[in-house]
Amino acid sequence: MNRKLSLGVRIAMYGALTALAVIWLYPLALAVYKSVSVGGWNNYLVVLNHDAFNYWLAIGNSFLMAGSSAVIIVVISSLAGYAFSKMEFRGRKAIYNLLLACLAVPVASVITPLFFTINNLGLRDSYAGVIIPLVSFNVLMMLLIMKNHFDSIPDELIEAATLDGSGRFGTWWRILMPLSGSTLATVGVLAFIYSWNEYLLPTLLLRSPELFPVTQAISLLQSDRMSQEQISQLYAGLILMTIPSVIVYLASQRYLQSGVTAGAVKS
Amino acid sequence: MNSALRRFGAYLYILPIVVLAGFLIYYAIGFSAFASLTDWNGLTRMNFIGFGNYVELVGDPTFWIALRNNLVFLVATILIQAVLGLLVAVIAKERLPGSNIFKAIFFLPIAMAPAIIATVFKYMLEANYGTLNESLRALGIIGPDVVIQWLGKDLGLWSIILINVFQWMGFSMMIYYAALMAIPEDVYEAAMLDGAGWWRRLVSVTVPLLRGTTGVLIILGIVGSLKTFDIVWLTTGGGPGVSTHFLSTFLYQARSDREAGYASAIGVVILLIAFVLSMLQMRAGYREGSRR
Repeated sequence: MNRKLSLGVRIAMYGALTALAVIWLYPLALAVYKSVSVGGWNNYLVVLNHDAFNYWLAIGNSFLMAGSSAVIIVVISSLAGYAFSKMEFRGRKAIYNLLLACLAVPVASVITPLFFTINNLGLRDSYAGVIIPLVSFNVLMMLLIMKNHFDSIPDELIEAATLDGSGRFGTWWRILMPLSGSTLATVGVLAFIYSWNEYLLPTLLLRSPELFPVTQAISLLQSDRMSQEQISQLYAGLILMTIPSVIVYLASQRYLQSGVTAGAVKS
Repeated sequence: MNSALRRFGAYLYILPIVVLAGFLIYYAIGFSAFASLTDWNGLTRMNFIGFGNYVELVGDPTFWIALRNNLVFLVATILIQAVLGLLVAVIAKERLPGSNIFKAIFFLPIAMAPAIIATVFKYMLEANYGTLNESLRALGIIGPDVVIQWLGKDLGLWSIILINVFQWMGFSMMIYYAALMAIPEDVYEAAMLDGAGWWRRLVSVTVPLLRGTTGVLIILGIVGSLKTFDIVWLTTGGGPGVSTHFLSTFLYQARSDREAGYASAIGVVILLIAFVLSMLQMRAGYREGSRR
């Protein structure tokens, strides 16, 4: 923008942004302060060597579940997005609309049958029992993003590849995938963060603390009557558990931001 | 023969998503609809009782409290997030030095788990030893013996609303920012030739042009309100009493109490609301599409 803004307008703008930023940073700064207010930095060591709460295990569990669901989501949404965008088959539009109609279905509304089904499949209290519904409830948004992306790739490219003797799967793998790097990254990062942040599904389906992801493992640091020192330790644990998400965020900010807008603007 | 095989082959590409997402979700919906007509306890007992659960639901005061809370929550969060998000987006669009840092700060909570944010706020807002009341006492804003029940009956819902604003304002900001960048610059130049100042351009040019984006945010906010669970369950747990229950936590509570049939009826009501609203979203989407 090259419009000249007066000094007064500039000051007002910085003032508004700074005031909001202070409000937004307050809870974060406070959490850091509280984590050392009673017991000092030692609290972090206490949390890392806790009896009931195993930090590295919780992080590992989150990485395993969020990572697996992100990989599965990227693969199946890019395959299906390719088919819905570039192939002709009976019921294409109907199936696509039926799938997207599920975008608005909240997990909470179907937890009763979901629990029953996962239990009957023998997958309750297992990684797979959480990964499957994580994929189910996150993949449809990613299908929307993938299909919109493939729609923007000209059909001529597919036709040319077919004339060169490329099969349908070969076209997907050798032509479309290399052209889709940033969309695949967007979908992968978004799926990972959404799965990492999920609380309801693991809480519903897991019982063994050694399987708990970070969102659920927070409960292991809490009890009914907590001393000030234990509360400080809880804050230290919360900060330790946030660090991986912040690293993922900083490393993938561009994809995350474009993913969030892609899912909303073109729906 | 070859083309028939090719046509059949296309279904293989959509098979995983149809089975994992479509089949599972529709099965769960069908199961809910069926179970809502029974006295299922989640394990073995399952007798058909017709619309008994729905009759009970309509007469249950907790249902109406939860519905009202969902409604207040969605109106308040959509409004506050839209106003703040638009404000930041409009300022960020001027490309002042450092505006990217501000954008990153407001967007950061989206990458953080609601469960963690909710827990931080729960201890911050706790009435007796919580940091907010301690700070207010230290600053002399409230008396040394005053205890404000931030998570109590009266303020609990508003605290939950503020936690949601903290987490999701950056989302509205990004969406508005993306839409602002798509507005052609000559629209503003024309307005400036007419002598419109900064504020005037915002109110008479920017806001009307963003109507479609605001519509999208409203629909997403409504759906998001139905999905809200963690920040309620982990702060107030629906209490004190049932005063801060949302439809989702009300359902979770009913399920935990082994009233699976009743919980399924609540689920069906949530689904009906979600379904009606997603139809509205599709219609709004088509209208947007035809305008372009």
